[in-house]
Amino acid sequence: MTQASQNNPQLVLAKDLVKALESGDQATARVLTQQLAAQDDKSMYEEVSSLTRDLHQTLDELDHLPLLMQTKHDIPDAAERLQYVLDTVEEASNKTLTSAENSLALIEQIMGQNPSSDIAVALQKLQDELNNIMLAQSFQDLTGQVLNRVILIISSLEQSLIALIQDAGHDYNAIPDKPKSEQELEKGIGPNVTRESKKDALASQDDVDDLLSDLGI
Amino acid sequence: MQINRDMNILVVDDFSTMRRIVKNLLKELGFSKFDEADDGATAWPMIQSGKYDFIVSDWNMPEMTGIELLRRVRADAQLKDTPFLLITAEAKRSQILEAAQAGVDGYIVKPFTAATLNEKIQKIFERVAQRQQA
Repeated sequence: MTQASQNNPQLVLAKDLVKALESGDQATARVLTQQLAAQDDKSMYEEVSSLTRDLHQTLDELDHLPLLMQTKHDIPDAAERLQYVLDTVEEASNKTLTSAENSLALIEQIMGQNPSSDIAVALQKLQDELNNIMLAQSFQDLTGQVLNRVILIISSLEQSLIALIQDAGHDYNAIPDKPKSEQELEKGIGPNVTRESKKDALASQDDVDDLLSDLGI
Repeated sequence: MQINRDMNILVVDDFSTMRRIVKNLLKELGFSKFDEADDGATAWPMIQSGKYDFIVSDWNMPEMTGIELLRRVRADAQLKDTPFLLITAEAKRSQILEAAQAGVDGYIVKPFTAATLNEKIQKIFERVAQRQQA
């Protein structure tokens, strides 16, 4: 018998079980079968707790590093940016619809003044074009549904990660703020659409002009 | 076939742009009396008033879906014959079968055209007329 098999309690139990079965000792065989099954459970528990320990350790090592920072800052930031896209596209769509509706009303008004047949034909065509513009705005409903779904997925991912981080013994609230690097600002960060990025951002051209004139420009 | 352009229509969609588009298309087709609801849950009490001759609804809405709204309409003795058109991005075979089983009168997949809307409405009211004659 090799060293490895001597140390394997499952193998020892299995051999005893074979012996008991061969000698017809049912009572012993039953007890040994139960013990074998218990061994299996035990090793599974050991496996799970070792995984948990590993995870804990991994997250400890990751302290203040990407996963924690991303969970606290980047994921909510991504969701907020998507919400901005959703709202802005809806607003633009509504403006287009309003303009198309107003134009259609004007056409009706002109039609009411008995225009020449040439003009009437042109107005009819114009009406069709405006209806096409209006119908094309239905993209907003479709892209909006997609964005809503992605925002939902991101939020549930965020919740799962927060749970994971807290299960590993970290205090989620204690994760520090993200430092805004000069380098990032230098590169440009695009429209300030999130609550975080609106801090210190000017809201309108008027504000920008005021600041510039204060600076003598 | 002559459709009654004076009928009361309820347009149900959680996206306001979509409600506007559908209303404008219906106006283009000669209809003039519309109300709007932004969810099945807000539409249901409105429908229960018995005011509407035609319901145009989206499927995917946050509180109550269009399919649930359709089932409620069909389950109500007073309302069960109200023509019901679904306009939706949901386009799986099983969903369309589900809608048919629930008793939908027409099913339009987004994005759609004015011509499609006109065609479906014609078809729906032809069938309604046949039902009334029978």
